[in-house]
Amino acid sequence: MVGSITPEQNASAADACMAAINGRFGGSGIETSVHNHSNAKKYAFVRIVCPPQHWLALAKWMKYDLGVNYCSMVTGTHFPEGSPERGWEVAYHFLRQPVQDQKPNTCTVHDVERLSGMDIPMEFEVFMPLPQGDSPSVPSIQSIWVGADWNEKETWDLVGIKFEGHVNMHRVLNPNDSPEGFHPLQKQHKLRYHDHNEMYDDPQGFMRKPADEGRVK
Amino acid sequence: MAQMWITMGPQHPMTHGLWTLRVKVDGETVVDTEAELGYIHRGVEKICEARDFTQITPYCDRLCYVSAMTWANSYIYAAEDLLEADVPERAEYIRLISAEIQRLASHLMWLGAFGPDIGNLTLMTWCMRDREMFLDLLQELGGSRMHYNYPRIGGVKRDMPIGFADRVIAKTKLFEKRLDEYEMMLDESTIWLVRLQGVGYANAESMVDAGVSGPNVRAAGVNYDVRWAHPYSVYDEIDWEPSVEKPTSVKGADCYDRYRVRMEEMRQSCRMVLDALNKIPGGRNTNYANGDEMIYTKAPTRAPEGATGFSNYECTRGASQFYVQGGGESRGKNPYRVSIRSPMFVTIPYVAKTMIGYKIADIPAIMGSFDPCIGETDR
Repeated sequence: MVGSITPEQNASAADACMAAINGRFGGSGIETSVHNHSNAKKYAFVRIVCPPQHWLALAKWMKYDLGVNYCSMVTGTHFPEGSPERGWEVAYHFLRQPVQDQKPNTCTVHDVERLSGMDIPMEFEVFMPLPQGDSPSVPSIQSIWVGADWNEKETWDLVGIKFEGHVNMHRVLNPNDSPEGFHPLQKQHKLRYHDHNEMYDDPQGFMRKPADEGRVK
Repeated sequence: MAQMWITMGPQHPMTHGLWTLRVKVDGETVVDTEAELGYIHRGVEKICEARDFTQITPYCDRLCYVSAMTWANSYIYAAEDLLEADVPERAEYIRLISAEIQRLASHLMWLGAFGPDIGNLTLMTWCMRDREMFLDLLQELGGSRMHYNYPRIGGVKRDMPIGFADRVIAKTKLFEKRLDEYEMMLDESTIWLVRLQGVGYANAESMVDAGVSGPNVRAAGVNYDVRWAHPYSVYDEIDWEPSVEKPTSVKGADCYDRYRVRMEEMRQSCRMVLDALNKIPGGRNTNYANGDEMIYTKAPTRAPEGATGFSNYECTRGASQFYVQGGGESRGKNPYRVSIRSPMFVTIPYVAKTMIGYKIADIPAIMGSFDPCIGETDR
């Protein structure tokens, strides 16, 4: 039986990470807090709200001093009806994983209940609110985590957030010849709403367009 | 010799789906590669914004058609985080059992598709035969052969049917014997060893940096697994060990290590399923009615504004993640934004770069050993 990370290990690691970030970046506008998930085992994670101008310094420090070696996701969200200082938001999710290169013919089998300090896996969530406007942009972390490369490409492709300094940015999921400025996850692009009657009467949707003005979700 | 670009895909046996690998070759040697994705992008994230939280589950099934149960579970954990739902313990056990049966079916699909890549067509027929046993089991739970729509926010759709546990035990024990047969056929096959050993090296740290996860990293010698690192479900109560391989080179795991780690993972899945059936609260041969408090707890349907939910789940190909934002009153029962992170979306560009330096004939072996799935990659 392998055992799992205990709630005590998890909570102590989260508190240690928060203390470390506060110790290094306290007072610069970076807010750090520890939260618990409400699902499954309700484990703790570190949530950081970071202004874009401090992001590169924080990211480098997280990678090289806090051992955050895994960039799992980059999510952009459009809030056209949000407050003036939060028209867009970029959410990053990171993991710290105790993974090292191995010598030939050896492997690391972690004794989970004895993991301590920097070896305890931890989850980080970084929020970066951006002001309203047509051209949201944040610094790229492509050079820090290779894993951020394609995630940033996807976020630009679908949401239209520009990543300053990203090399070789191109469409990944939309067709290469999509019109410039077309980013389907922006909220001005509405999904047409139709109920089942309309679907069966008019499967191709030719008659539907005028009728569902104002019936968009 | 002059270098040239050749295009493999979107229709090519190596791709295991629809995508294009552009390869720059110098004679037979690969000198540069480029991956092109997006051929089956369906806009699932946008569709989800116009659906209720409960209506999203079937779309998540269709993210990966060989591993539907794990993807649906992955979404359900994110939605439960957002909506603050409680889950009965029996439902967590059933989810674990169904996810591990799905892992067996998915790995069998991988092995069955990988065999013909290497030149072993027998493997395809054997794997399809055994996968059918597990699809039958999942069909008993979800009512459908591939897209089950089985987990619910707060539990599962229905309890295990009477006799299901006995059939699971019989089929799992039979499959454990058949795994030995597979190993007899493959581990001593010269073709298999020559094509896989010493090909497609990838080391642990570079994979983690590039976002690769799951069995591909465990093949490189570290037993990191979401199931113990960020525990969900009841994996902490079940008898199991993460599979891990000892890579033979400083360059990391080769294709053979990645094949071995998945064979071992199938053994562990069998072990988990059998152990979970022994420990399940309420007994394995009882069938509670739909909506009974043993298998389902009613969950809130509306998310407060500003709430977020996140799940990190060990899918069959690595860590799948969902990030769901609630939208408050104006959005009703719909989420404001659903973001899906597929393990293969970052893995495929990474694998394309690891092919540099090998021969063209090695490309199917390298690509197949990472178990690509394009449904979840393109979403």
